[in-house]
Amino acid sequence: MPGNSQEARLSELLAQCTAELLGELGIQPERLTGGRQPPPAGESIAAFSGFGSDEIRGSFTFLGPRKLFARLYPLPPTVTPRDLTDWACELVNQSVGRFRNRLLAYGVKLALSVPQSALAEELCLASSFDPTRSPISFAIDSMVLEGWLELDLTPSFRLVEDPVDRESAALREGSVVLF
Amino acid sequence: MSKKSVLIVDDSLTVRQQVSLTLKSAGYQIVEACDGREGVDALRAHEGIAMVLCDVNMPRMSGLEFLESIKGDAAGPPLPVVMLTTDGSPELIARAKRAGAKGWIVKPFQTDLLLAAVRRIAGEPG
Repeated sequence: MPGNSQEARLSELLAQCTAELLGELGIQPERLTGGRQPPPAGESIAAFSGFGSDEIRGSFTFLGPRKLFARLYPLPPTVTPRDLTDWACELVNQSVGRFRNRLLAYGVKLALSVPQSALAEELCLASSFDPTRSPISFAIDSMVLEGWLELDLTPSFRLVEDPVDRESAALREGSVVLF
Repeated sequence: MSKKSVLIVDDSLTVRQQVSLTLKSAGYQIVEACDGREGVDALRAHEGIAMVLCDVNMPRMSGLEFLESIKGDAAGPPLPVVMLTTDGSPELIARAKRAGAKGWIVKPFQTDLLLAAVRRIAGEPG
């Protein structure tokens, strides 16, 4: 968990968004605490989305074994590596998209980048991350999905203590509105 | 079975396949494009597209840019476009409505609600 309280609150909000998303995919993830897991053996996938506003810049990266993204894949099981890297992008996009929607209740308006992904052997995220930070990790069927949040906040940034009703701040996921 | 054509514009192959499977099972014909620019090209290349489902955040040309770019293209009534996106921002929804969008769906979508929306926009019984 990041040490700065603003970062900690943002990290927890994003963790909740990710858990909600996985739940809607029919997965019951177990939240892991206690630091970094060993890098996944074999082929793994990383997918990230950047985001920004006047006071926040950051990115969120999912890292997990290829088999985990195949487990989460929502279509019939004829999956190619391209299918899985695309799906990893969509997962991180939907997780950060949900985070953006929740932050509207706090008066924070984020813009998102187009997500990107990589498939590689023994992929390990390391250099740009503060080693004292822990990822947002979930155990799914004996595999681990790590979510790495990078944040750069302006010194004046503060999340309000009492967000407005989130239902009025943003349309809920799954909603349909016809004009 | 309906044979109306629906154009799906989304940079995610998985989302295009999810939407395509849902609509094909109800008899719709599907045309796919991976960004707004390809969507504009698809409209020119395929006659008879009845409506569009369009993502917002895409490379090269966003969904809102796509909406603006096809305004006034059709000789008849405007082609109905429903946005399909992770974004639930009322401000963006209002902007899309002003630009001519006919609806807004927040991902992840529920297949029954998506299909009901498409049928309603296409003027078909639910």
